[in-house]
Amino acid sequence: MNDIIVQMKNIVKVYPDGTVALRGVDLEVRRGEIHGLLGENGAGKTTLMKILSGLLRPTSGEIYIAGKRVHFKSASEALKHGIGMVHQHLALVPAFTAYENIILGLPSREASRKKIEKLMEETGLKVPLDALVEDLPFGVRQRIEIIKMLYRNVDILILDEPTTNLTPIETRELFHTLKELKKRGKTIIFITHKLREVLEVTDRITVLRRGRVVGRTETAKATPEMLAKMMVGREVVMKIEKKPAKPGEPVLIVKDLWVKNDLGEWAVKGLSFAVYSGEIFGIAGVEGNGQTELVEAITGLRRVEKGQVILMGKDVTNKSPGELYRLGLSHIPEDRHKLGLVLDMTVSENSILGIHRLKKFLGSLLNLKWGVIDRHARDIIERFEIVAPGTKAPARSLSGGNQQKLVVGRELSKSPRVIVAAQPTRGLDVAATEYIRKLLIKMRDEGKAVLLVSADLDEILQLSDRMAVMYEGEFMGIAKPEELTEERIGLMMGGYKMEQISSKTSPQPVESR
Amino acid sequence: MPGSRFWIVLKEELGRLAEILIAVLVGFVIAGILMWLGGYDPIAAYIAMFEFSFSDPYYLATTLSFAAPIMLTAITFAVGVRAGLFNIGAEGQLYMGALGAVIVASWALPGPLYLPLAIIVGSLMGAVWGLAAGLLKVYREVNEVVSTIMLNWIAFWVVEYARVYIYPNPIDASKTISMPPAGRLPILIKGTELSASLIVSLVFVGIAFYLLWYMVLGYEIRATGLNPSAARYGGINPKKAMLWAFIIGGIASGLAGVCEIAGRPPSYAITTGLSNLMGLGFDGITVSLLGANHPFGIIPAAIFIGALYSGARGMQIVTGVPLEMVKAVQGIIIIALAVPGIIRLIRSKIRRGGVKVV
Amino acid sequence: MGKVIRGLSSSAYIGIIIIVAIVVGIAAYYAGSMSAPKTVSTTTITQTTTITQTKTITKTVAATPTTTTTTTQTTTPTKTTSPSPTPTVTVPPNAPKKLAVVYDIGGRGDLSFNDMAYLGASKASKDFGLELVEVQSKTEADYLPNLRSLARSGHYTLIVAVGFLMTDAVKQVADEYPNQLFAIIDGYIPDKPNVLSVLFKEHEGSALVGALAGMVAHHYNCSAVGVVLGMEIPVLYKFEAGYYWGIRYGEQVYKQHTGENIKPLNILWTYTGAFNDPAKGKTATEAQLAQGACIVYNVAGATGLGIFEAVEEAAKAKGRDMGPPFAIGVDSDQDWIKPGFILASMEKRVDVGVYKAVERALLYYAGKIKKFGGVMELGLKEGGVAISKIQDLETFLTIAEQAGKKINKTQIIEKIKKMRSEIPQWIWQEVDKLADTLKTNPDVEVMGLKFSQIEKMIPLDANEIKQIRQQLGVPTG
Repeated sequence: MNDIIVQMKNIVKVYPDGTVALRGVDLEVRRGEIHGLLGENGAGKTTLMKILSGLLRPTSGEIYIAGKRVHFKSASEALKHGIGMVHQHLALVPAFTAYENIILGLPSREASRKKIEKLMEETGLKVPLDALVEDLPFGVRQRIEIIKMLYRNVDILILDEPTTNLTPIETRELFHTLKELKKRGKTIIFITHKLREVLEVTDRITVLRRGRVVGRTETAKATPEMLAKMMVGREVVMKIEKKPAKPGEPVLIVKDLWVKNDLGEWAVKGLSFAVYSGEIFGIAGVEGNGQTELVEAITGLRRVEKGQVILMGKDVTNKSPGELYRLGLSHIPEDRHKLGLVLDMTVSENSILGIHRLKKFLGSLLNLKWGVIDRHARDIIERFEIVAPGTKAPARSLSGGNQQKLVVGRELSKSPRVIVAAQPTRGLDVAATEYIRKLLIKMRDEGKAVLLVSADLDEILQLSDRMAVMYEGEFMGIAKPEELTEERIGLMMGGYKMEQISSKTSPQPVESR
Repeated sequence: MPGSRFWIVLKEELGRLAEILIAVLVGFVIAGILMWLGGYDPIAAYIAMFEFSFSDPYYLATTLSFAAPIMLTAITFAVGVRAGLFNIGAEGQLYMGALGAVIVASWALPGPLYLPLAIIVGSLMGAVWGLAAGLLKVYREVNEVVSTIMLNWIAFWVVEYARVYIYPNPIDASKTISMPPAGRLPILIKGTELSASLIVSLVFVGIAFYLLWYMVLGYEIRATGLNPSAARYGGINPKKAMLWAFIIGGIASGLAGVCEIAGRPPSYAITTGLSNLMGLGFDGITVSLLGANHPFGIIPAAIFIGALYSGARGMQIVTGVPLEMVKAVQGIIIIALAVPGIIRLIRSKIRRGGVKVV
Repeated sequence: MGKVIRGLSSSAYIGIIIIVAIVVGIAAYYAGSMSAPKTVSTTTITQTTTITQTKTITKTVAATPTTTTTTTQTTTPTKTTSPSPTPTVTVPPNAPKKLAVVYDIGGRGDLSFNDMAYLGASKASKDFGLELVEVQSKTEADYLPNLRSLARSGHYTLIVAVGFLMTDAVKQVADEYPNQLFAIIDGYIPDKPNVLSVLFKEHEGSALVGALAGMVAHHYNCSAVGVVLGMEIPVLYKFEAGYYWGIRYGEQVYKQHTGENIKPLNILWTYTGAFNDPAKGKTATEAQLAQGACIVYNVAGATGLGIFEAVEEAAKAKGRDMGPPFAIGVDSDQDWIKPGFILASMEKRVDVGVYKAVERALLYYAGKIKKFGGVMELGLKEGGVAISKIQDLETFLTIAEQAGKKINKTQIIEKIKKMRSEIPQWIWQEVDKLADTLKTNPDVEVMGLKFSQIEKMIPLDANEIKQIRQQLGVPTG
C-alpha cells in the first residue's frame, strides 16, 4: 500500500547485557497521520523508535520507508530519509541561542535565518531566535527541537513522551502544533503512556507491552478502558504467599506535600497519605510522575516546599537523612549505584553507610572499629545470603543482585520502624527479586511499616496491602489491590481518577493543575 | 560470577601499575633524547643523577630533605582528591604556614616555646587559607581550582609584603627574621641538610593515613569524594566533609611551611621572592598523583621526586648539563608521571556528571 | 586492619616502581660503565676513593684533559682590558686541579653579573690549567647541597660562590670543610681562614656615573635624574650613596666650568622589589621620565632591561635614534644592549674578582701567602669597578655572542662612538679626572659630605642611607 510510509517488520532487539527489549514487533504508520505508541515503562516504545531513527540497530527485523528497505547506521542516515526524533531529554546546548542550536552541525551555506523565520511563520511554532536556550522554559525548548527537525526537512517526526515536562497550556499548544503539522502532510509518531492524550491527538494507536504489540486500533474506535486493559494486562506471575496484614498505628504520615523537581516545576502536588505499622503501602504509576521526588522528600534528600512529613509522631519535614535514620527510618533507594552504595568502597565500608556514627562502631578517638564493622558486614552477608569475595572487596565487585541485597541488608540491619523501598527489585534476576519481596513481607509481618514505590505493577499488586496510583504528582486513587481490575489500574496510570471510573459512566480525563 | 568481577577490578589496578611504569620509561626516554640532542650523554647524566641521589648517606640525606616538605603538600592534594576536590592551594597555604613560623620567630619567647608555637600558628594559618577556599566552594559554589590559584597569589604577595615590610631581617634585608636556634628542628645527620622535618612529615603522613582510613571523619570525606549523592543519602553532610578536607590540607601545607622555616638550613627564614618556598606546593600535586593519592604511596613518590631534584646536581657537576636542561629533563619526567593520574582524575570527574545536556 | 588492603595495594605499586627504577638504574649504571668511555669510570672511581687517593688519580685525569667528559669551555681569545697580569702563578702540585663556580638562583645568561663571573673563571681556568665545573641553583634550598657536594669531593682548588645570597650557606660549609677554599662574591664573611670575601667599591663606580649623569643632565637642560633599583637590600645603598654624591659633584663641576647659574637637579629613586622583572623596571622608568628625568641609572639586574626599553621608547617617540633620555648600565658594560641610549655603564668587574680569588688560592697553595681568607675589596684602584670605555665593548660583545645573541659588532661600536661624541669632551674628561681623584684623595667634599665619609659608613643600613639622602638633597622616602 502506497500510503504506508513506515513499515517495521518483526523487529527484535536484545541488548548486549541480555535484556530483551523487543520480541518481534510489527509497526505500520501511514503517511500524514499522528500515530500513537502506547505502553508502560519498559514496554519497548523508546527502543523501537530509537531503532527507527537510527540510534540503535535492531538485532533482527526489517524496516521499510515508503516501501524501500533501509538499514540505518546512524541518526544522520535516518535524517536523510526524513526521520527525526525529539527525545524526552532534549539535546540542546544551553549556552547557545535558539538560532545557533537550530543550525548547529549544518554547513554554513545551509544556515538561513530567513528560512527559519519563514518556517516559524508557516507552522506557527514561534521561538525567540536570539534568546539563550538556558533562559527558556521547557516548552519553548521543545519547540526549538521540533523546528530543528523541520528545518532538516523531516517528514516523519517522532516525539518521545513530549508532554512529560509541559504545563497543561503548553501541552495544548503542542497538540495544536502537531495537528497543524499533520495538515502540512507530516507524519508524527507520538510515544506516550497517557491515555487521555493518545485519545485526543492521534489517528491510530499501537499498544506495546513487554516488547510485543498487544493491540492496534483506530483511535475513533478506542475507549480508555480498552486501551488500559491492553496496556496493563499481565501474564501469570509468581505468587507470593502472604498472611493478611495486621495494621497498627500510622507511623508515617504525609500531609499536603508539595515538592519540586530539578527543573523547578511541581512534581508532587499536595499528596496526603499515611502508612501504618504492619502494612505495605504501594505506590504504582508510570515512572516520572513524581514518585522519585516524593521518596526523596520523605527521606530528607529533597526540600519539601509545602506540607508536612510526620515520622513516629514527630514532624520531620526537611530534616536531614541522618536525623531521620535515628528516628527509625530506612531507605532502600531506587538507584543503588547513585545513592545506595559507594561502589569504590568495600563491602564493610558500605555496610555502615548512614549508621557509621553509631556508638557501637566508634572508638574513643572517633575512630571506626573495623573489627566490629567487619563482623557487622559478615553478619549481613550471612543473613542475606550475599555472594561476595569478602568484606574487603569493593562493592563494585559484587553482582547487581548482591549489591542490592547489600543495600537492603544494611537498611534492615538498622532495625527500622519505617522502610521506604523504591524500585527495590529493579534490574534483579528472578531469584533475587523473589528474595527481596519475601523479605519485605517478612518485615511487614514483624510490624514494620513499608512504603513501597515501584514502576513494576506486579510487584505492587503482589506485595501491597493498600496501593495508590500516582499520575502527574497526584494520586488517582487509593485502594486495596484486590478491589482493582487491570482495566481500572490502567486507566489510573493513564490519568483517570478512580471516582470517575467507578461511576460507571464514560470516564472523563482530569484536568491536571 | 562475583569472583570474575573481582578479577576485573584487580586487573584495572594492575593496569595502573603498568601505566606508571610506562610513564617513567617514557619520561626518561624523551628527556634522554632531549639531552642527546643538546649534545650531552644521557646515560652518563642518568648515572650521575642516580649517584647524587642515592649513592651515599649524604646524597640520600639530601634526597630525603627535599622529599620531606613535598610529602606534606602532597597530603593536601591527596586529602582534597579523597573528598572529590581538586585543591591546588598547597602553594599558598605553605606560604602562610611559613609566615606563621616567622611571626612566632619574631616574638621574644622562652626557647622551648618557639617550635610548638610555630607549628601551631603556622598550621593554623595554613588551615585558615585552606578554609577560605573551602567556604567559597561550599557556600558560593566557587570552583576550588580557581579560588585556590587566586589564593596562592594573594598569599604570595601577602607574605612577600610581610617579608619586606613587617619581618625583614635587620642584618640582611633579602630575608626575614630567622627562627632562633632554640626553635629549629634539629639536623638528623651532621653535615647534611636533613632535619627533623622529615620526622614531622612522616608522622603527619601517618596521621593523615589514620584519619582517612580509620576515623569516622576520614570515612565521611572518602564517601563524599567517591559518591557525594550516596554520602548525602548516608546522612553525611558533604559540605562539612569538604570543609574538613580543606582544613586538613591547609594544616598539612602550613606545617610544610613551618618545616621549611624551622628545619631548612642555612637561612631558617623566608628568603627574597619566597625562593625557598616556591614550587613546593605544586610539587606536592605531582607527588600525590604519582602516589595514587594515598599517604603510603606519597612517601615513596616524594622520595622519588626528591631524588630527581638532588640528582640534578650530579647531572650538572659530572656531565656539565646546564641547569636549564636539567629543569627541562625534570619537567618532562614529572609531566610524564603526572599525566596518567590527571587523565584518570578528569575522566572520573566527567563520569560523575560533569557534562550536562538540557 | 580492614582498610589497609586497598590502601596498601596502591602504595605497594609505588614501592615496586621505586624498586624497579632502582634496579633499572643499577643495571643501566653497570651497562653504562662498561660501554661508556673509560674516563667516565675514572671520574666515578675518584668519587668513592679517599681523598689522598683522589689527588693522585685526579692528576692523571688532568694529564689527559681533552678526554674528560666534564664541560670543556671554549673561551675565545679576547683582549680583555682588565688589569689581570699574565699568569705568573702556576698550579702547585699539592693543589686540586678543578675550579668550581656556583651561581645563585639568578644564574647564567644574565649578560651581566653571573656571565662575568664565568668570564673570570674561564680565563683563570685557561691561564692556570684548571678544569672548570659550573653549578647553578634552582632554589635557595640548593645552595647548601651544591656547595657540600663540591666540597666533600676534595677535587676543587677553589669553590667560588657567586652572589651574596649564598653567604649563610658558604659560612656553614666553610666550617664543615676547613681544608676547602671558598670565595664569595659580594658576600661579607670576614673571619674565616678558608673564605675570601670579594667585595666591590660600587660607591666609587657609582660616583663616576653620577657625576656623568649630573653634568649631562644639565647639558641637556633636564630637571631631574633618576635611579631604578631592584630589591631593597643594603648592598644597593652603596650604589645609591655613590650615585647621589656623584650627581651633586657633577653639578658643582658643571657650574664651575660653564659659569651658568643652575637649578639643582631633582633626584628620583625607585625600588622595584625585583631583580628579574623587566616589566616593573619599565613602569618605574616611565614614571621617572614623566617627572622630568632624562638619565636613569639601572641598579636592578635583569629588571634593568625594562629601563633600557622605556628610555629607547621615550627617545624614539620624540623622533630620536639616540638619547636623551639615557640609561646608565650596571655590573657589566651594558652600553651595547641599546646602543645610543645607554650613556655609560658602571662596571663591576666580577671577572676580575673571580680571577684574583683563584690567583690568591693558588698562591696560598704554593705557600707564597700565609693566609687565604679575609676581605678583598676591589675599587677603582684595583680595577674592580670602572666606568665603561669604548675599548671595553669588544670583550662584552664577545660574551653576548657566546650567549647566542646575534649582533653586529662594528655597527654597535660606531653608534656608541657617535653618541659619546655628542657629549662635550670636557665632561668625559671631568669624569676621568674624578676617577683619578678618588683613587688618591677620597676626601673630596660635596654639599658638606666628604666621599671618604660615605666610605667609612659602609656597610650602610637603612638609617644611614636616609641620612645621606637628606644631606644630598634627595627625597628620603
